[in-house]
Amino acid sequence: MDDVPSSEEETSDIDTGSWSDDEDMPAPQALYTILSEKDIKDRQAEAIDNVWTVLSVSKTDAGILLRHFKWSVSRVNDAWFADEARVRETVGLIEWSVEGDAYDGANKLTCWICFDTLPREDMKAPVCRHYFCESCWTGYIHTAINDGPGCLTLRCPHSTCSAAVGEDMVLSLASEEDAQKYHRYLLRSYVEDNRKVKWCPAPGCEFAVELIPGSTVYDVTCKCGHQFCWNCLEEAHRPVDCDTVAKWILKNSAESENMNWILANSKPCPKCKRPIEKNQGCMHMSCTPPCKYEFCWLCLGAWSEHGERTGGFYACNRYEIAKQEGVYDEAERRREMAKNSLEKYTHYYERWATNESSRVKAKEDLIKLEKEKIEDLSNKQCQPVSQLKFVADAMAQVVECRRVLKWTYAYGYYLKVEEQGKRDFFEYLQGEAEHGLERLQECAEKDLKDFLQADGPKSNFNEFRTKLAGLTSVTRIYFQNLVRALENGLSDVDPAPSPSRSGSSKGIGSSKLTVSKSLNGSRRGSASGSASRRTGGGDEPEYWTCGRCTYGNPMAAEVCDMCQNVRGL
Amino acid sequence: MAASCNSNLPRRIIKETQRLLSEPAPGISASPSEENLRYFNVMILGPNQSPYEGGLFKLELFLPEDYPMAPPKVRFLTKIYHPNIDKLGRICLDILKDKWSPALQIRTVLLSIQALLSAPNPDDPLAENIAKHWKTNETEAVATAREWTRMYASGV
Ligand SMILES: [Zn+2]
Ligand SMILES: [Zn+2]
Ligand SMILES: [Zn+2]
Ligand SMILES: [Zn+2]
Ligand SMILES: [Zn+2]
Ligand SMILES: [Zn+2]
Ligand SMILES: [Zn+2]
Repeated sequence: MDDVPSSEEETSDIDTGSWSDDEDMPAPQALYTILSEKDIKDRQAEAIDNVWTVLSVSKTDAGILLRHFKWSVSRVNDAWFADEARVRETVGLIEWSVEGDAYDGANKLTCWICFDTLPREDMKAPVCRHYFCESCWTGYIHTAINDGPGCLTLRCPHSTCSAAVGEDMVLSLASEEDAQKYHRYLLRSYVEDNRKVKWCPAPGCEFAVELIPGSTVYDVTCKCGHQFCWNCLEEAHRPVDCDTVAKWILKNSAESENMNWILANSKPCPKCKRPIEKNQGCMHMSCTPPCKYEFCWLCLGAWSEHGERTGGFYACNRYEIAKQEGVYDEAERRREMAKNSLEKYTHYYERWATNESSRVKAKEDLIKLEKEKIEDLSNKQCQPVSQLKFVADAMAQVVECRRVLKWTYAYGYYLKVEEQGKRDFFEYLQGEAEHGLERLQECAEKDLKDFLQADGPKSNFNEFRTKLAGLTSVTRIYFQNLVRALENGLSDVDPAPSPSRSGSSKGIGSSKLTVSKSLNGSRRGSASGSASRRTGGGDEPEYWTCGRCTYGNPMAAEVCDMCQNVRGL
Repeated sequence: MAASCNSNLPRRIIKETQRLLSEPAPGISASPSEENLRYFNVMILGPNQSPYEGGLFKLELFLPEDYPMAPPKVRFLTKIYHPNIDKLGRICLDILKDKWSPALQIRTVLLSIQALLSAPNPDDPLAENIAKHWKTNETEAVATAREWTRMYASGV
């Protein structure tokens, strides 16, 4: 434990996913160690060795002591050297007395459980010399083990005796099945008694995660792939705090009956009314031919009205605008005031849930990609697999961003209406991030499909590479900003000194954008790497970069299209 | 241990039963039912100098399949005003729960119940109301217990 060196386990100083540690922005990291069953057993053995050597007690007794003192060697030592007699009494470590027992000399003894009289050698007793027959012991141990982890502190069956029955005796008398259960409890006690170690909550996962003291971030990634909050054991929810998450989850269960309709996976096409199923992660929907109407899954508005090209703000994250876009006119909206709180909740819930299903979808895609598609792509486009890591990086970025974005909707729901400034800033950052993510995901899904379905190598594959890698790093930066702002409680954050954005959405992915990215991570699901740098290409700049939000504005514009910041500030 | 059913009663139960019948504990009688040798009809005499003095209390005792690894199930059939016995006759006694040991016997259990009648323990109550009564006004509670003994436990 605290004092046991853990040299054998690797200590993963994993960042929480995609936040690369830019030199200018060291991301807070969760420090933790993942323990396999073997690691736990090794630690237990090590602790027992430690106690056994220092206290000169048997290994079984060392185990009894450690279980009582929650596997802390130092606590065993402290208590033992402070008052050995008291510790012995508490845990039932009776010292062997040299005086003979009452049965000395008798060849046959009566077992006071079954009342049978048996030869002494068929009887067993702990150090207290209360003899019972083997089959009664087996029954006694069976009952205790099937009663639960209390079997780890088993005492002598004699009604007034508190002598401990240790591991060696239990295992020598227990059935095979019971012995296995006992081992299980023994293993589990190491985690369950220890406030610094918790089981991974993923179903069937047998790893435990130990948080290293000083870690301020709780998001951890288990070796099974499950990302969870070590503190509250919900799925990873950075940058939103545990309380908000708990409130939100409670709220969802309370509202779940009202929300059933939202979970339906299809919506009518706003134009032809045929049901359209959302089968891709991104919000850009295309109705099936002949309609082919392109619309936004969230607001059902025409896709052409979305994005920067129209100069409009990417609106789908914004509740206010959604209401304006919605079916209610002002008068009707007033009449519907009573429904407002549900409406508000619905807005956030729907976006929360949609992002979750997008995340799940993206994660499945990522797994499929790594399993088979990357081979296909490699063959079709005549690219070595080693050169295709950017695709998995992009998908991993999508997965992580969907997770963050999802939780920002829970955050948004609880943002106070009065704090208009914060709200605006939050929605602005969220909008930026969401917009970047939509482009990234669309590129990762739709463009990739073209290359996968192509008959042979396509000449524009390198353009695809540049575009996707560029979108990945831009999106990462947006999300870094968002996460950081939320973790600062939206207190006057000065925008991250992020690399300048050298183009509009059209510009990104064009040859003007070069991305140098050293891919150092071998970690799956994490797009971490060194900082991405984008440098303007050789052409004359067509854009000026807003100092506040990094948006690339046309040279003609005097104020930023995004945040209305005056050029030059 | 041998699997046990009525026709194949473990030796321990047979021995305990024989001894209960041949050397009954003072103030206690326990006899197995004819249909089910794991079911005992029990009578306990209210101990002297207790509010239950003069009463004869009827109980039932049942030895579950996994007896003696699991404790016997015991219940008062006679109504009794006692802080550790609820209105269904269930008894709050540690050896009937977590302090059970397979080395305890029917005899020890019944003796403990008899002792509980002599020394009610309102700090570990099963019947909240009665325990409260006991703690706030012991004289009155004891009077009620006597009254109940007279009403329900005399002249069976
Ligand atoms: Zn003993
Ligand atoms: Zn035996
Ligand atoms: Zn796991
Ligand atoms: Zn949490
Ligand atoms: Zn349509
Ligand atoms: Zn929309
Ligand atoms: Zn701006």
